[in-house]
Amino acid sequence: MIQVVNIRKTYARGNGGTVDALKSITFDISPGEFVAVRGASGSGKSTLLNILGCLDRPTSGSYRLDGEDVAGYSDKQLSRIRNGKIGFVFQAFNLLPRTTALENVEVPMVYRDGHVDRKRALAALERVGLAGRARHHASELSGGEQQRVAIARALINNPVLILADEPTGNLDFKAGQGVMTLLQELHDDGRTILAVTHDDDVAAYASRELRLQEGSILSSETVPTVLLRPAMGGKP
Amino acid sequence: MKTFQLVRQAALSLARHRLRTVLMMLGVVVGIASLAILTSIGEATKRETMQRFKNMIGTFDTIMVRPGGGRSRGMPTLLNVPPTLRFEDSKAIAELPEIKSVAEMQSAFDIDIKYRGKAASPAVFGVSVNWLSLRSDEMADGVFFTEDQNTSLARVAVIGTDVRSALFPDEEPLGAMIRIAEVPFQVIGVLQSRGAGPAGGSLDNVILIPVKTASRRLFNRDYLTMVIAQLKDPTQSNQATNRVVALLRERHHIQPSALDDFAITNPAATMERVTQTSSTLAKILAGVAIMALLIGGIVIMSLMLIAISDRRREIGIWRSVGASRGEVVFQFLLEAVTVALAGGLAGVLIGIGGVQIAARIQKLPPVLVWRPFASAVLLSFVIGIVFGIYPAWKASRVDPIQALRS
Repeated sequence: MIQVVNIRKTYARGNGGTVDALKSITFDISPGEFVAVRGASGSGKSTLLNILGCLDRPTSGSYRLDGEDVAGYSDKQLSRIRNGKIGFVFQAFNLLPRTTALENVEVPMVYRDGHVDRKRALAALERVGLAGRARHHASELSGGEQQRVAIARALINNPVLILADEPTGNLDFKAGQGVMTLLQELHDDGRTILAVTHDDDVAAYASRELRLQEGSILSSETVPTVLLRPAMGGKP
Repeated sequence: MKTFQLVRQAALSLARHRLRTVLMMLGVVVGIASLAILTSIGEATKRETMQRFKNMIGTFDTIMVRPGGGRSRGMPTLLNVPPTLRFEDSKAIAELPEIKSVAEMQSAFDIDIKYRGKAASPAVFGVSVNWLSLRSDEMADGVFFTEDQNTSLARVAVIGTDVRSALFPDEEPLGAMIRIAEVPFQVIGVLQSRGAGPAGGSLDNVILIPVKTASRRLFNRDYLTMVIAQLKDPTQSNQATNRVVALLRERHHIQPSALDDFAITNPAATMERVTQTSSTLAKILAGVAIMALLIGGIVIMSLMLIAISDRRREIGIWRSVGASRGEVVFQFLLEAVTVALAGGLAGVLIGIGGVQIAARIQKLPPVLVWRPFASAVLLSFVIGIVFGIYPAWKASRVDPIQALRS
């Protein structure tokens, strides 16, 4: 599904020097995995997420997604990949303001082929339990509901990979739990999910944990999710 | 399909920010409306002037020769012109190689016409029989007089429609005997109406009689108030004018240092001057309107540039779900073009209303010239593209990673 080989990302600094955000990272993700990427801030996890999400290009190295080496792709090609193969879930939800839940879910279809299938959008909202709020504007929804709309939007073009960036970061405990349960259900349906988080409870849902430190992989552990899932309840 | 959806998104986005959209449109509305109104009025005025000119002269392939060096005011009559232009001059002009034919005219404006207690005082023109074709006049009723009637000094008259309504309000005029300065004339024809002249007065308040009848039986003068010469080649009107000037100066024994004792009107040349003046004015007005349009375009550009910083997140969202840079450019351009076009159409509607009002104020018929409106719409489209391209490009350079951070 995902093969990352020697990915490196270097940023220029104001003083003429450079900073290595990612130092030659290599890892694989198999179909159906739920991977949590963890690390302190500055560890490179956001950079990694942006590259995996085709919002950014690596300075060097190869990134194969669903059989395509996208590392050298043009803006237009990357846009096509983002549209068809990747679904984003952001910490800040990032729904279009003054736009209904339904229309938000439909946006990725606009950029695919322009064929907006309203039934499919409604089905996606139903999948996340929000069929009844389809006509509500984003601002009229609670945080948890907004994140569910975002998940429905991420699912609409049937992507091979769902990328979640601190998906519960802006939510209270209960709403966060609801969102994580939803992601867990998607994982159980066979979806491949990668979540960036520094929250133990979110990481507890993952089948594998990838730890980053200063741009390098510190550890990659597969954990039996069955054992860890109840840990969610342990947090005060 | 995709394009349709992008257009729909652009329209929705504009609808969601109504105030901003209206402000963006405003400049273009004002610019297009004023452009449409000004060019439309300019064009209508020009057409009206040309029409009146044409009404008076009839055709543009003639030149007109009048006696008196052009110093007399108003319409020439037998009383206010010097007796310098004679029938023999007219014959000589007719023999010039540039001239196809000539029509002679004697005129008077102060003669009473009577019929059964009703009276009128139209212009009385004694004219030659080719008058009708040289003026491209047409008969509404009856016939024009013949050369035989001219040489036999027949007392026959052809009347204009104003005279008809003054003397024969509910009577058939053909065959009736009218009195022109107490001389009886038989009405044999009625002219078709010509409408208004350049000064706005009616050209239909006229009676035509054979020029020889006029000369011998009515005016008792053997000089003319006007000779109309039809040209063989209308494009050579200046050359023909010069030939006529030379001929008349020679015939009238005018010294090289002396002024002409006649005046020539060259309608083609005059027309050119008139249209040139009015088109210069039209150009200046159009320039002002185009300035207003440019300002409208700059307003669109500035408001869009300001809006981009508000819409960074929106742009980031589009990009994350698969919009390429090109599609962001396209979408912002669509918004700019939609705004400009909507402003243009609103401007056209206001312009159409403005033309009606302006026409009423200027006492012109409300001539709607479609071309300025069509080009106004096209121009607003161009404004949208030109002033939308930079903001659209800026929008496409928004970094989605930063835009999506909370």
